[in-house]
Amino acid sequence: MARAATTSDAFNAIAEPQRRDILALLRAGERPVTDLARELGMSQPGASKHLRVLREVGLVRVRGAGKQRLYGLDARGLRPVHEWLGGFERFWNESFDRLDTYVQDLKQARQED
Amino acid sequence: MTGARRQRQPESATAEREVVISRVIDAPPELVFEAFTQVRHLSRWWGPEGFTTTTRFFEFREGGVWDFMMHGPDGTDYPEWITWTEIVPPERIALLHGESRDDPNSFESTLAFTPHGTGTQIVMRTVFPTKQLRDEAVEKYHVIEGGKQTLNCLAAYVAEIAPTAPITVEKEGP
Repeated sequence: MARAATTSDAFNAIAEPQRRDILALLRAGERPVTDLARELGMSQPGASKHLRVLREVGLVRVRGAGKQRLYGLDARGLRPVHEWLGGFERFWNESFDRLDTYVQDLKQARQED
Repeated sequence: MTGARRQRQPESATAEREVVISRVIDAPPELVFEAFTQVRHLSRWWGPEGFTTTTRFFEFREGGVWDFMMHGPDGTDYPEWITWTEIVPPERIALLHGESRDDPNSFESTLAFTPHGTGTQIVMRTVFPTKQLRDEAVEKYHVIEGGKQTLNCLAAYVAEIAPTAPITVEKEGP
């Protein structure tokens, strides 16, 4: 059974392994829910629940194509996660924190001179 | 490349290959600039909390080199090699940043120091040779920064499917 759709942000959404599996599959292109359910060995209602969560947090979008509804990645939703994880920015933000502290010490030392 | 990625076009020629980080520091540009010019300053703040550096060679001039080892809090060593391509005190520093002299994946950062009230705004713009290298750097520095190996898979995964827009992080000092 899929978990209840209680999540409201991308961080929670990708904490669920099956939802990560869905995202991984969608990287290759759009799919109907039946395909996704079959590939991942889920029930269709289970896959649909996950897709609903992923849509609500902006990670997945859907469009109609004839009789089918095709699900695809909407990677904009991952932006907050990407930024949070982004080690380069964190590296420099933390370096600049230390720079700030150091420069304040330097400033004070110069004023005392 | 996924279909989702292709939907978005880069906003400029370098947008998808760059990272921009800015910070305001409450000290004049001359003083902030100075903190970038000598090992005795740099060794006090370069890298996140818990990191230290050991410098093999340092010559702060255009064309000069800073060859050093960065030591992570978990004991891991990271070779670093920097050469300055432009130095305009107290306004601007451009440097090439890699792991060694011949590193084909080295990337360029420019640091601009501008007066901001009584303080200084630093804008660091880093342009990677390719988007892939930017994503790899984001991942690599993530690993360096925290030593949090368990998050590697997720970081790599996110980097792969993340959008192509530039990453801009605004953070103001206290």
